[in-house]
Amino acid sequence: MVREIIKYPTPPSTAYATDVRVFNEEIVSLIDDLKETIEANQLDGLAAFQIGSYYNVVVIKNEDGSFLELLNPRLIKTEGKITTVEKTAYFGELSATVTRHDKISVVYEDREGKNNSLEADGEMSVLLQRKLDYTFGSTFLQKLSKEEKKRFEQKLEFGIESAISELCPTTFFRDKVMRGVNFITLLLLLNFLFSFFVSTNLETTLWNLQVYGALIALLLTLFYILYGQYEGKKYSGCTSCQIGNIIGTALIALVKISVIMAVSYIFMA
Amino acid sequence: MARLVVLGGGVSGHTAATFAAKWLGSSHEVVVVTPNSKWNWIPSNIWVGVGEMSKEDVTFELAPVYAKAGITYKQAKAVSLNPEGDLTNDSPFVTIEYTQEGRAGEVENITYDYIINATGPKLNFGATPGLGNGSELGEYTVSVCTAEHAVHASQKLQKCIEKMRNGERQKFLVGTGHGMCTCQGAAFEYIFNIEHELNKAGVRHMADIKWISNESFLGDFGIGGMHMKSMGFAVSSKIFAESLFTERGVDWIIGAHVSKVEEGVVHYELLDGTIGTENFDFSMLIPPFAGVGLKSYAKDGSDITDVIFAPNGFMKVDAKYDAGAYENWRASDWPSTYQNPTYTNMFACGIAFAPPHAISKPMSSPSGTPINPTPPRTGMPSGIMGKAVAHSICDLILKGEDAPLQHASMADMGAACVASAGKGIFTGTAAAMTIYPVVPDFEKYPGTGRDVDYTFGEIGLAGHWIKHILHHLFLYKAKLKPGWTLIPE
Repeated sequence: MVREIIKYPTPPSTAYATDVRVFNEEIVSLIDDLKETIEANQLDGLAAFQIGSYYNVVVIKNEDGSFLELLNPRLIKTEGKITTVEKTAYFGELSATVTRHDKISVVYEDREGKNNSLEADGEMSVLLQRKLDYTFGSTFLQKLSKEEKKRFEQKLEFGIESAISELCPTTFFRDKVMRGVNFITLLLLLNFLFSFFVSTNLETTLWNLQVYGALIALLLTLFYILYGQYEGKKYSGCTSCQIGNIIGTALIALVKISVIMAVSYIFMA
Repeated sequence: MARLVVLGGGVSGHTAATFAAKWLGSSHEVVVVTPNSKWNWIPSNIWVGVGEMSKEDVTFELAPVYAKAGITYKQAKAVSLNPEGDLTNDSPFVTIEYTQEGRAGEVENITYDYIINATGPKLNFGATPGLGNGSELGEYTVSVCTAEHAVHASQKLQKCIEKMRNGERQKFLVGTGHGMCTCQGAAFEYIFNIEHELNKAGVRHMADIKWISNESFLGDFGIGGMHMKSMGFAVSSKIFAESLFTERGVDWIIGAHVSKVEEGVVHYELLDGTIGTENFDFSMLIPPFAGVGLKSYAKDGSDITDVIFAPNGFMKVDAKYDAGAYENWRASDWPSTYQNPTYTNMFACGIAFAPPHAISKPMSSPSGTPINPTPPRTGMPSGIMGKAVAHSICDLILKGEDAPLQHASMADMGAACVASAGKGIFTGTAAAMTIYPVVPDFEKYPGTGRDVDYTFGEIGLAGHWIKHILHHLFLYKAKLKPGWTLIPE
């Protein structure tokens, strides 16, 4: 039977991770349900917790389509580190960068209660560790670095189905460009005011400076619009990245420059 | 006048004897037989082992305390039990051999009406080649199981710190010295206290610290792990422990049976069958526990040790010893009155009673080596069962043989544990944990077998303060100072 997959924010049960003690029909049925749920959702594996069972059972789908059944698995030996971007059904579309053991050795029992062990590395090692997290009431959230955990928890505020590849940064590079434009605009204003206190000989030089400054500001504003669009595609979930905001900000800058230049033309040219 | 003999003066025996003496008064006699002249608050031995406390801070002389309590004190070790007496004497008696200076080796038979076996364990260093000989600690590793061992461990640790100050890198290996050990908690405390001390000494960067244990996952602690309520979430002790180990830069080997110890090298077998070795410059490995080796004889002199004691040397009590495989284990297998089923005037409590089975999942390597923690019986449960047994015996003496017995099953008992992870008024940390019940009851609490509302864990400075306060509180209680009965076990 295909079972519903428990997803965030449904809190992890407080009754998970009990070892299978009796290898009976209930466990066989649970394993079958896990397999069918994996197939129906095209997943690479599931821990029993993910379908609402508190038994310490993990089923992994192998590349050849067969299934690996692990009852009461324990991670016994580890070697090296590997960092990958992981997704798990519990967190829907969200992903996180997780550092785990590269090579592992796992002991487990099969559905008859017979002891087995396996060694894994790379992707299989990461997958097994992710599923083992669930059997002890954890998710990969507990494995994240402090910075990554903070980022991921902020992502969770948007919900797990929103395809936010990254968070909106608090500052963008385009903002630095706009600060440059604003600084030049301020210089243009100061240059204009300064022109009232200098001799006529210098006025021509100051006007030339005013023109060059305005040109630089215009070019920077154009760069701001183009780069802002590129950045907007990188952070598609950010409302502040929308093209309307970028064009609006650019227009305000252009209006300021135009006003200063218009007044400067009247008094300086 | 009835005579109650208590074998052992540890947490359980001392609790039982002192309460029994108080409840029975001077019209009955309480005799304590213990080979040690001093009482030791064992949980603080880890601080002796890192030089933060002296031996005197964790021990006190028993004789004046027992004199004050009206308890007859015999500094001796029990050798054998004759629960039916012998051919010349119908009264049951215990044979003891004095360890007291001036009387060492002297043997005496003490008759009893009731007896409590609270001898604690034999530290079975000899079970692992190289770890020691019999109950004697070997030359390659150290121990914190007794105050003397802890002093020795501290001296060795100081030497390592000196070497590190001189630029020599040191490897520390701490954990369990056999596949069937218990007391992972003490090793857990010791490894983090070492880490803390190395930090304080400014030599942490010169140390590699590694944990080795027979647990199948970090945080098993011999109780099959637990789910702790922490900051509103239920966190597995595995996650809790792994976070702590990672945060403090302590690597680990788990699922390990230490098969041999040589100078600077530990040989081990893992649950997956891997055979490996680990080098060390300093190693503290907890030995497996066994019964102290009491023999027992019937009236005709025939050996009935196997009637009274389980094969591991611990005394049989009202537990279900034929529970069989893991799938058949029940909370009700655990004893509640601690009365010997054959001789009803014999009781056992603390570490001395034979548990029906482990609490953690039984596991073994492909070659069949059992590798799983045996059940711990820490201070709080030991004290509670000691008091319950004393209560039962006092009722039997004062109210008659039909008086109902007190019950204190570990499957119906909560426990609090404060595990130190470093000592310091402002820099100390300890993990404070409570679990209920100690032995999981899967029928009553499907899933984890425990009531997560009463299973709690938190690590921090407050935990250290609690641990330090408890140190003074329990020493005060054990010295029978005013109000001692008000302090819980």
